[in-house]
Amino acid sequence: MPRLNFWTVVMVLTWLLLFVLLFIPVGSVLVSSLYDQSGNFTLANYAKFLTEPRFRVAFLNTLIVGVGGMAGALLLGSIMAFCVSRFVIGGGKFVSLLAILALVSPPFIGAYSWIVLFGAGGVVRGFLRDMGINMPPIYGVGGILVVFSLKFYPYVYLMVSGALSNVNRSLEEAAEGLGLTPWQRTFRISFPMVFPALTAGGLLALIHAIADFGTPRLLGRGFNVLATEAFTLYSAEVGSNMSMATTISVVLILVSMVFVMLQRYMSRRNVYHGNMINKPTRIQLNGWRNWLAHFGVYFIGLCGAMPVIVSVIYSFRKTNGPVFQEGFALQSYQRILFNLGDVVRNSLTFSIAAVILIVLVGTVVGVLVARRTNLNTALLDGAFMVPYVMPGIVIGIAFIAAFNTGPIVLTGTATIIILSIFIRRLPYTVRTTASSLRQISPSMEEAAVSLGYSPFQAFLRITVPMIVPGIIAGGMLSFVTAINELSSSLVLYVGSTMTMPVRIYLLILDGDFGTAAALSTVLLVLSGAAVYIAFRFMGRNEQALL
Amino acid sequence: MSYLTVANATKQFGATFMALNGVSIAVGKGEFFTLLGPSGCGKTTLLRSIAGFNDLTAGEITLDGSNLRIVPPHQRDIGMVFQDYAVFPHLSVFDNVAFGLKPRKVPAAEIKARVTEALDAVRLGAMADRLPAAMSGGQQQRIGLARAMVIKPRLLLMDEPLSNLDAKLRIELREEIRDIQKQVDIATIYVTHDQEEALAISDRICVMNAGRIEQVGTPEEIYGNPQTRFVAEFVGTLNVLTAGAALNGLLGQLGLNAPGAASWAVRPERLGLDATGAASGDDMVAVPGTVAKYTYLGREAHVQVDTPLGMIVVQVANPGMAASRETGEPVSVLVPRDVPMAFGADGARLSTGG
Repeated sequence: MPRLNFWTVVMVLTWLLLFVLLFIPVGSVLVSSLYDQSGNFTLANYAKFLTEPRFRVAFLNTLIVGVGGMAGALLLGSIMAFCVSRFVIGGGKFVSLLAILALVSPPFIGAYSWIVLFGAGGVVRGFLRDMGINMPPIYGVGGILVVFSLKFYPYVYLMVSGALSNVNRSLEEAAEGLGLTPWQRTFRISFPMVFPALTAGGLLALIHAIADFGTPRLLGRGFNVLATEAFTLYSAEVGSNMSMATTISVVLILVSMVFVMLQRYMSRRNVYHGNMINKPTRIQLNGWRNWLAHFGVYFIGLCGAMPVIVSVIYSFRKTNGPVFQEGFALQSYQRILFNLGDVVRNSLTFSIAAVILIVLVGTVVGVLVARRTNLNTALLDGAFMVPYVMPGIVIGIAFIAAFNTGPIVLTGTATIIILSIFIRRLPYTVRTTASSLRQISPSMEEAAVSLGYSPFQAFLRITVPMIVPGIIAGGMLSFVTAINELSSSLVLYVGSTMTMPVRIYLLILDGDFGTAAALSTVLLVLSGAAVYIAFRFMGRNEQALL
Repeated sequence: MSYLTVANATKQFGATFMALNGVSIAVGKGEFFTLLGPSGCGKTTLLRSIAGFNDLTAGEITLDGSNLRIVPPHQRDIGMVFQDYAVFPHLSVFDNVAFGLKPRKVPAAEIKARVTEALDAVRLGAMADRLPAAMSGGQQQRIGLARAMVIKPRLLLMDEPLSNLDAKLRIELREEIRDIQKQVDIATIYVTHDQEEALAISDRICVMNAGRIEQVGTPEEIYGNPQTRFVAEFVGTLNVLTAGAALNGLLGQLGLNAPGAASWAVRPERLGLDATGAASGDDMVAVPGTVAKYTYLGREAHVQVDTPLGMIVVQVANPGMAASRETGEPVSVLVPRDVPMAFGADGARLSTGG
């Protein structure tokens, strides 16, 4: 009797999982966009998308915030990367920490903190008005771009500083020997070397910018992008239009796909691996140049981390209802403890459940992808690209479209929120597991087999201990993503399955900034702890956060 | 009867590529047997099929009289040393070496004694508690060697164990491997592409090319009496003589004749160098030429001479200061009668009777 192969079962289950959690939702979105309310096939939704100015504007706005966010992130990120990797900057580690803070804080906290500082009744704006300087409030496209630039610059910073510290110093010395001035050296030698990293980081910022929902929602004030339009159409109490929401989702998927493909192409081109015999050194600047470099780095770093700082400070301010008073108190935290315990508990249980699933399934499938290389696993690898191009809001709408009726009904359950987080983060774990497995020489397991261990024992005793630290670290980073997820949960939640980001978002809309700030701080502490544990397991590796 | 025999081993990859094409070898108990050949010749494929990491398409492998192909790799009781060391980074040096004793249900006290002994044999006794990550390549390979030996395997396989080490360490460690192997008296199959290493370490060498065996023999036989042109060229260096009137004249003077010879060749170190116009005799012919290039290498010198037989390299041992030759200098290349080798169109060595 032929034994049922373990890996064949895994392969079948993986495809089943992808079919249910990915192909059915995406298919449902597509189908829903192609049929009208009475169930007839139609292209009217797409025609409407092309003709109605409202959607054309949203489409253009999406590109504007995407490209603008990318430009801002490129500007700030490359300045910071260049200064930190080429000049001696005091407290370089602290600067990196500021970048990590900007990266792990949810973007809508950023939007809210900037409203506190520069909004209609903003603190800084008020202060400046008292001094006679009148600046416009931060709402609208300008504000969104500021927030995106400061939120997404770490993508560029981390990628470019990685590339810059990998440029072999000998190349620049060779250029110097050939008579190039410092400026020429920078633009003709260093810049081409980091160009792939620069574009890859910039595109990453762009992809996140067009997928973001919270920031344009809170700061837009009439400035709508595709993500907010999709949500508005889906959630409108009167005239909710699912087929138009799914049409926008399809467009959003297509736009993201273009940039994700471009990003992957640019990352692959990042192949200038010089030998590291001659590492670049940092130059000690003098006088005003030194001041300027330090000012630039710390200004960007502190502005990027400003939302975090503001939330933490405001979380301790004394409040009376939603109104801030003079002085400090723990009232906001008391409110969380007494009224919002279930929200915190929901967030924790959903995230932990999702992370456990992600780690277990992701590791097994990662082993499958790395070890059983044939056509099927290549296809599998490709299929795992799909969640990368799905903005959270689209995943949410897709899950509603797929699981509201039909054989599997999940709407309103905790399961649907857990699964939406699971499917978005699964590809990351599969990829990191597969790549760390590929780095382990096959002779390791062969050595164990030759010493008398069966192949399975060899895998358990040799390979597993070698990849476990990476798996734990990856799980922690998945936890950070899971617990900060707003947009898909916002579509999928019901009263009993509300999570912290959703609650924060609603609190901000209600004007209860104190409680929102306290809840944000709790979120940040949890994220920070997870990042800390991850770094303990795999060494301090900021690149893994990308 | 031989200890390990491989009969008609054939391994096919894809539709057409034959990694092994009917290879048969027989290795004696305690013998140090080396598979030598260029990359892609099938030597590693043969080693890995003995270890069980890939199966043959056809053929038989027997060890000590029993069929090895039906035994799963982890039950073959064969020690293996890897090119990339394959030292387990998460285990200490001691635990690496003890790793193979655990599934053999060896009592703890005996494990300690045997591991200590094995580590002393490879001179790592003082490093038992260290983690291997920060250790040098030579030390890591010593761990690999101790780990493979300590289980007292029925057969020891080594897959280019020294090729990732630097030149000096390579020579040092190959002597150690040779000594330890003789001490413990385990039949060993050693894979390398380094001919000098093969000559230095082996009882017998099997030279392989394109999935086939070219020649099996002692180092002296392989180097001194190559049976194919491939062996002669791969082990040592070779001057191939240009066909024509000059070659026919040389062979006539020496009274050499090989029917069906496609090419004639001479080893550089078997030739002599003399002043121009040196006399020829029955046993030695002086071929006139001019020096094209002189390369001084310390313990030897290579003199490239332009002759009617083509460019011929003459290797001069212990070149003194006076041995130096100027480019364009006229010289005679001395070819003793027993030096020229004849090869047929298929590359096989022909007898040069006459």
